[in-house]
Amino acid sequence: MKKKPFCFVSAVLAVIMILSLAGCTAPKKYSEHLNDYVFTARYHDNFNILQLTDIHWNVNTSTKTSMNYLDKLFKEVSDHLAATQGEGAKIDLVELTGDMFMLANSYHLNTFVDYFEQKAEEYGFIYAPIWGNHDRHSLYHPNELAKRFKNAKHCVYFEPSDDLYGRSNYVINLTEDGTKNSSVAWMIANLDSGAAFSETELSVFRDYDYIRPEQTDWFIAEHALAGENVPAIAYYHIPQDENEKAWKAVSEEGADIRNKFFRLEEFADNGNEKYASDFIDRAKDHNLKAAFMGHAHNVDWTFEYEGVVIGLGVKTGPELYFAHIDVESDDEAMQAGLKSVGITENFDLIGASLVTLTGRDGSFDLEHLYFNERKDGDFAVWVKW
Amino acid sequence: MKKFFDRNNFVLAKQDGKQKKQSVIVMAAVIVFFILSAFTFMNFLYCLSDCIGSIVCSSADVALRDALRSCPIFLSFFLTLSGLMVAHTFYRNESPVILHKKAKKHTAIGIVLGALIIVYVIVMRIAGKYLSLVEGAPSPIYPLDSVLYALLFIVLGVLVMLFLKKDAASQLFCGPSRAPLQKKGRGVRSVFRTFWLLIALYGFCGFFYSFFIVDFSIGYVPYSIAMLLVSFVACLTLAVWELFYNNLTAEKRKEFTLPLAVISLGVSVAVTVFYFLALKGNLDGPSNVGFGLLPVAFSASVNFATLIVVIAPLIVSVTALIRGLSRRKHK
Repeated sequence: MKKKPFCFVSAVLAVIMILSLAGCTAPKKYSEHLNDYVFTARYHDNFNILQLTDIHWNVNTSTKTSMNYLDKLFKEVSDHLAATQGEGAKIDLVELTGDMFMLANSYHLNTFVDYFEQKAEEYGFIYAPIWGNHDRHSLYHPNELAKRFKNAKHCVYFEPSDDLYGRSNYVINLTEDGTKNSSVAWMIANLDSGAAFSETELSVFRDYDYIRPEQTDWFIAEHALAGENVPAIAYYHIPQDENEKAWKAVSEEGADIRNKFFRLEEFADNGNEKYASDFIDRAKDHNLKAAFMGHAHNVDWTFEYEGVVIGLGVKTGPELYFAHIDVESDDEAMQAGLKSVGITENFDLIGASLVTLTGRDGSFDLEHLYFNERKDGDFAVWVKW
Repeated sequence: MKKFFDRNNFVLAKQDGKQKKQSVIVMAAVIVFFILSAFTFMNFLYCLSDCIGSIVCSSADVALRDALRSCPIFLSFFLTLSGLMVAHTFYRNESPVILHKKAKKHTAIGIVLGALIIVYVIVMRIAGKYLSLVEGAPSPIYPLDSVLYALLFIVLGVLVMLFLKKDAASQLFCGPSRAPLQKKGRGVRSVFRTFWLLIALYGFCGFFYSFFIVDFSIGYVPYSIAMLLVSFVACLTLAVWELFYNNLTAEKRKEFTLPLAVISLGVSVAVTVFYFLALKGNLDGPSNVGFGLLPVAFSASVNFATLIVVIAPLIVSVTALIRGLSRRKHK
């Protein structure tokens, strides 16, 4: 009988040792398998990339209600493409730029993937998920999320076990014939901008994460692999320091920077110069044409910085929080946003963003869709960048 | 052993068959309702955290919409808690009079809460707020599952009421018994015990879920183990208190308070120190592996919420230590 406590303690220690050893093996180097990160799709002019961001399915979400909203949204986008680009036009790629879930469970995850598989089949698109900070905060195992996306037929997702920071760093090269054997027309890079961290173990508050220098190195290496002249677009979740700097330059210093849409809260970026990301600064020298993100739901403000269009996508769906745009508001930022989009009625700042690649020379169009469900007819307004 | 415990617990050898059976049933009921309470509490915390998140982001309207949708989940926690209270009243069994009074009160609360859930779901369905009775999320058959859960509790509640009625006439219950609690400081103790119970419920669920949702493969091993230990110790302290210490005779309590307090303090301090060392090594650990287990922490955008869990066993240990030292002084 006396052996029992000893056996129990030994078993616990053994488990702890095994778990500790699990983190001790040397990780593979990302630079040794750059090709593994690359997916391909066939390029054509008017290649349409729909950005859905911060869908935020959570314990309080009615998935049925949310899917009804998404059904209507997809139909609206599809009708818009047919009307503006001709009957054959369709959504080619859906970029899910993070926070698809928050405080969700396996039921949400499975329903979500099944839903996107069904829509992908219906509309003929592929979809590419990127981790947001909240996708890590749920009652499913993170690897379950990765596995579900990896195994989904129409989903493009890669998550290796190597030394590159983050989970969802991968590239979709749009090539002439849709394979790796032909030349690349556009490179779409998806980066995991992490979640948050404490500066010290005694810090009261958290700092949001940022794109790490090694991720920038990875982007540059992947771009070199695709071809130095290939135009690129980056998608990630958390805005980096450029957004706030540009906003301050515009709003406080009156800088002449092309900008549009709404900025009704802070960008919720790291905000500390010490952790300012080098991504935009270095990637812009490697033909980065645009960078789109999510994270701050009340913001879809977009600007141009040294030839790179940087902006937040319109938050998709009414989960967690979103801004109510009031045309009679005294808020200066709201009025500035309203003026820039030219909308004269109240609406909610939810919908989607659409990028259309118009040529191999790096040209593209950007449109924001504000889409609200209404009993007396849904509100759908497209605003061009 | 008989000298050790002052109650007719099932650990006693000389219980007759009926008493032993009732003791086992009561103990099993306490454990089952504790586990159910822990899971419904985690659901409660998840729904609450999301609502807090909306409020923090100035969207009180969204928080209200979500709270209304998830009201059966919130109520299900209190419903389960009422079940735990009933089981615990039988477990404690201070006297037949107190048992009847308290058990009836908690059972009645449970039946009312159950009825409230059913009525609420029906009204919300009629009002079109639920698109269907099996709308889905957070479970495939929500909110029907809440209705079925409430029905089960109502049936159980009615059975308990019938048992209490029969027991009043012919003294059917002969399970464990314990001396009544001191009246002095009852209010403060009650508040603290409620807080402690909530921490222990969280601890149990956090410990359970950590095996399924914590990713030990992405380099947060020390922090993950720390979260596991923090959750476990939060639950363990209550288990030791309720299943061991409270069953001791008054004499043995005096003897055991100080050594137990010292051991408990040692374990709590060790876990706290380990937690901070692990956090130091995994500064992004809470955001990457911890917040799934501690939803309130992230919704409030603060880093220190884990401390609430770490500190609860510490407070208990220090309180026990002071009591133990004071008893030794007055010996």
